[in-house]
Amino acid sequence: MPPRPAAASAPIVVAPERLAEILDIAEDAIITVNLLREIVLFNRGAAKVFGYRPAEVLGRPIEDLLPERYRPAHPAQVAGFASGPDISRVMGERRVVVGRRRDGSEFPAEVTISKLEHKDGTLLTAIVRDATTRKKYEDALKRLNQELEERVRVRTVELAERNLQLGQKNEENELFVYSVSHDLRSPLVNLEGFSEELATSLRELNQVLADDRIPVEVREPATDLIDNGMVESVGFIRTAVTRLSRIIDALLRLSRAGRVEYRPQVVDVAGVVRRVVGALQVTRAERHAEIVVEALPPAWGDPTAVEQVFANLIGNALNYLDPGRPGRVEVAGETGPGLEGGEGSLQNTYSIRDNGLGIGPAYLPKLFQVFQRLHPDSAPGEGMGLAIVRRILERLGGTVRAESNLGVGTTFFFTLPTAPTTAAEIPPG
Amino acid sequence: MIQKRLMILLAEDDDGHANLVQRNLKRAGFINEVVRVRDGQEALDYVRGEGAFIGRVTDASLLLLLDINMPRVDGIGVLQALKSDPATAQVPVIMLTTTDDAREVERCYQLGCSVYITKPVQYQDFVDALTRLGMFLEIIKVPNAKK
Repeated sequence: MPPRPAAASAPIVVAPERLAEILDIAEDAIITVNLLREIVLFNRGAAKVFGYRPAEVLGRPIEDLLPERYRPAHPAQVAGFASGPDISRVMGERRVVVGRRRDGSEFPAEVTISKLEHKDGTLLTAIVRDATTRKKYEDALKRLNQELEERVRVRTVELAERNLQLGQKNEENELFVYSVSHDLRSPLVNLEGFSEELATSLRELNQVLADDRIPVEVREPATDLIDNGMVESVGFIRTAVTRLSRIIDALLRLSRAGRVEYRPQVVDVAGVVRRVVGALQVTRAERHAEIVVEALPPAWGDPTAVEQVFANLIGNALNYLDPGRPGRVEVAGETGPGLEGGEGSLQNTYSIRDNGLGIGPAYLPKLFQVFQRLHPDSAPGEGMGLAIVRRILERLGGTVRAESNLGVGTTFFFTLPTAPTTAAEIPPG
Repeated sequence: MIQKRLMILLAEDDDGHANLVQRNLKRAGFINEVVRVRDGQEALDYVRGEGAFIGRVTDASLLLLLDINMPRVDGIGVLQALKSDPATAQVPVIMLTTTDDAREVERCYQLGCSVYITKPVQYQDFVDALTRLGMFLEIIKVPNAKK
């Protein structure tokens, strides 16, 4: 044995009679039995815990302190421990040990038992602590935990349900928009067709009026009516009809963005952007702008849908450049950690940056809503493009946002998955 | 060469649309008889000589102008039914529609329509369509027809 440090080498020696006193006043119940399971020691703590005076239980079998249902099996358990190899053991590590008080009431208990070979035979000592309070706290904690888990579960179900409802609502809306715009096309065809007919009839009427046989006092007011009244009226009708027609077509495109079936696959984004930029050459030249395209990682999505997104955002960037300075549009992309943040979860973020007119902070929140037009004079449109972009990306499992400084430029960022997502794709309506 | 008479069957539920189509046919130089029916079922009945048209006798060949959105049987249904029956599969069909939905166009061509025209139908569209169909049999150009 290694030599002990000086301080510990001179232990305070407690006299044996003092030891009995210490045991007696201990807060825990200390009960000793012999091999006949008769109680031979019952301290004050035990008296307090069990409600017996020592005189009442000394010499009685230890089973008096157990609920009746545990009594028959107990002697064998005691014998097992007495003859077993363990010197001490914590009882009930896997189950609740129950004590029985003098008044018959029961309480949960923490029990440690130990074995001591004595000159009078083997003595078994149990140190018992009333665990009622601890048990109460534990139970309360467990209950709270369960309640919390239950609430989380209920809330999760609710959210999933609401999500589903929203998805269905979206589909319903799109179906509604689709059928309404389809139905609107029909009367519109009449307006368009018959205003064209009217215009044709007016031209023919003018020819009829050109006949020499018509007196000049009839021809002149009639021609005036036609040229200054009817032609103008028909012109307004036709302008309005054209506008209405464009709006309905835009609505149809939006509903189509939500309904068209996607064929998910690896998309060569660089190739897609090359095509988009190629198709925009005329606009680019008109706007005296340059388009810089950096390396773009491939993504997982529907090629046509991805192309639509880029066409829209790059087209917008060109349309809303500042005529006062050389326009520049930069397209970039990079792969980064996904939103879930889990290992292996990756997503691509693409950006379309321009040095154009920019968007004031007040307008940014409305940017992706339908029929919102910030610079109606810069380019024709129905205010539907960004709503369509957002809907497409939503279905592809991506997101879109914009950063902008008025008079400096705008950058659109959007994400696309790099691989098939486990989350179900939002289905077409 | 003996030329068979060509008759135009116009299936269109909207009176205005039917009127516009007829005006433009006339303007495009057609003097052919035009029969108008109001839905897909009537169109099928007419082609097959069934229902209200039972016992219809004619030696004229048919050209079908078919609106897509119609009550009872829509234009797609009529096209499908005609093209799947060998007795009527040869009838040339021009689809009339209010949308240029690429998938709808694609579907009509897959089902075997000859020409697809988006409304409102213009005189020039008809001339183009008929040129593509190669059916100048009964077109008589109105001398002063304007483009």
